[in-house]
Amino acid sequence: MRKILIANRGEIAVRVIRACREMGISPVAIYSECDRAALHVRLADEAYAIGPSAPRESYLRIDRVVDVAKKCGADAVHPGYGFLAENEDFAAAVRDAGITFIGPTPDAIETMGSKTAARVAAKRAGVPVVPGTEDPLGAEVGDAEIARIADGIGYPLLVKAVAGGGGKGMRTVSDPAELANAVRAARSEASSAFGDAAVYLERKLTRPRHIEVQLLGDQHGTVIPFVERECSIQRRHQKVVEETPSIAVSAKLRADITSAAAAVAKAVGYTNAGTIECLVDEDGKFYFLEMNTRLQVEHPITEMVTGIDLVRWQIRIARGERLTIDPARALTPGGHAIECRIYAEDPDNNFLPSPGRIVALRAPSGPGIRDDSGATEGLDVPIFYDPMISKLVAWAEDRPSAIARMRRALGEYQVAGIRTTLPFFKWLLAQAEFANGQFHTTYLDEILRSRNGQPFVEPSAEMEEIAAIAAILHQSLTNKSDFPVRLNSQIKQSDSGWRAAARTEGLR
Amino acid sequence: MQQFEVDAGGRTRKISVAKTGDRFVVTVDGQTRTMDVMRSGAHTLSLVDDSGRGYEVVIAADPGSPSRFTVRVDGAPVTVTVNGRRRWGRRDDHAATASGPQRVIAPMPGKIVRVLVKTGDAVHARQPLVVVEAMKMENELRAARDGTVAEVHAREGQSVDAGALLVLVQ
Repeated sequence: MRKILIANRGEIAVRVIRACREMGISPVAIYSECDRAALHVRLADEAYAIGPSAPRESYLRIDRVVDVAKKCGADAVHPGYGFLAENEDFAAAVRDAGITFIGPTPDAIETMGSKTAARVAAKRAGVPVVPGTEDPLGAEVGDAEIARIADGIGYPLLVKAVAGGGGKGMRTVSDPAELANAVRAARSEASSAFGDAAVYLERKLTRPRHIEVQLLGDQHGTVIPFVERECSIQRRHQKVVEETPSIAVSAKLRADITSAAAAVAKAVGYTNAGTIECLVDEDGKFYFLEMNTRLQVEHPITEMVTGIDLVRWQIRIARGERLTIDPARALTPGGHAIECRIYAEDPDNNFLPSPGRIVALRAPSGPGIRDDSGATEGLDVPIFYDPMISKLVAWAEDRPSAIARMRRALGEYQVAGIRTTLPFFKWLLAQAEFANGQFHTTYLDEILRSRNGQPFVEPSAEMEEIAAIAAILHQSLTNKSDFPVRLNSQIKQSDSGWRAAARTEGLR
Repeated sequence: MQQFEVDAGGRTRKISVAKTGDRFVVTVDGQTRTMDVMRSGAHTLSLVDDSGRGYEVVIAADPGSPSRFTVRVDGAPVTVTVNGRRRWGRRDDHAATASGPQRVIAPMPGKIVRVLVKTGDAVHARQPLVVVEAMKMENELRAARDGTVAEVHAREGQSVDAGALLVLVQ
């Protein structure tokens, strides 16, 4: 394998490019109109335009991506996550073009992509699923029939899209009278988002945790599960903080949940990287939720505590190599890792996306810090894609030290020109519930509702005064008025100049 | 010496600045302090006051109005308007002023997913008015304060450009 086309953009394209470089493989990028200047384009050996900025006309165009892969002579295609990563037609088109798809087979993607088929596969492997409907409820199933099924499951329950993901096509129903409306709304959302109006019903667990298991499977029948990831900090069903290991998982639960996850993967002949997502209830019982047939956004925290490079292994598995990882190593966390997904959103304005130009950027670094980002100074955050600009990961010996390290790194992170969720994370990581690990999948939504829009960072009068002074000094320089601020190069060897120079040296 | 009226975080301050040697003498509402100022980048300043307290400041001008800035002091964003005639609150970017009609506009190109109010509805502060899908997310646009819906220009399923007027609240 000498050349890999990366069918993605942003931080994950950069992540795969880095793995390629370290393996002596030539990375090839694709880009839409607005991504010409993006970091992944600049870091790759070759880059090809594939269409206008709208995803449907570029990153989601199977024909164009496969065409570029053929023309540039790529041996393999890495899909990243999102876009075409869980599209069985794409995986098949790549395979049919005689190119290796770095991921599972089209059959495995299709089976696990249907929520109801995946539930059946899990049950067959002896893994408990959340009580709910066996078969998809297509558009032909009437309200009365659905009401009857719902009574059998019990309330509160969730109406979920069979083809769903990311909270789309999902409704909570606590009162039987709301069921018909919820089904209608879920169907219409599912149909417009996934082109499939089928839904299913699932009992809603109270205050569950989201615990997931990373897996690698080779083409020779070996499946290795990794230490669990805790992803219960979610806003509107989207993960915002992930960590590993979970404070709520005992050695016994870890052994049970990871072997169950491996059993599901083996039952469907799964290959490459995948993740089994589970819910864990208040009694510590776990239930299969779904499988993601791709690399996850939050894979870096697993890499940090195991020292195993998951992207490198994806490529090695696709080349036909055998998994030679010691299973005990994959299950034994060395320290603790936390990830914050930094978004171009204004947390003080109901998390409204904040696209625009990043005019200043300084990512944190130092001991135990990893910043997986596709953002650079001068780059625009486009309006067309997911507004995540970086995944900030902190590793330390134990959980309290990892939290302290993350808070330190958040303080170092500078982004100007757009609003980001950095102030929100500074607030969240200072909460007692976070420090104690007392949270569940609806914790964040509940606490955000109770805060009712109160700002996450309220600058002190002193900070506001400094901000006012700084704005005047900055504007004066820009307007070239009669007192320009000194430039670093103009430092005189006077006493105060020396002191100031020492100060900036210290800040570097 | 130059004098400015500066609004920071919703409060107006009278500030004068004079340069003495390579330092700045800054007077804020009658209180004077000496500042050592270094530029460390096109948008970053390092300030050290005469007591030795240091601040790292990142400044970005608002693309729409050159006298309005978002200034981050040790990471906390503060909206600052220099010699501003209008008062800007930090949290009510959509409100513009404390009285008069509120123009709820599309903050970016997107698709109207839901219209939650109709003309004549009484709305309260922070009540969701319209849901716009943009950047793969559904975003609620909310009322800045209590009022009555005077005009609705949004239609479900409609694509809108950035800046399009969606709802007018009186």
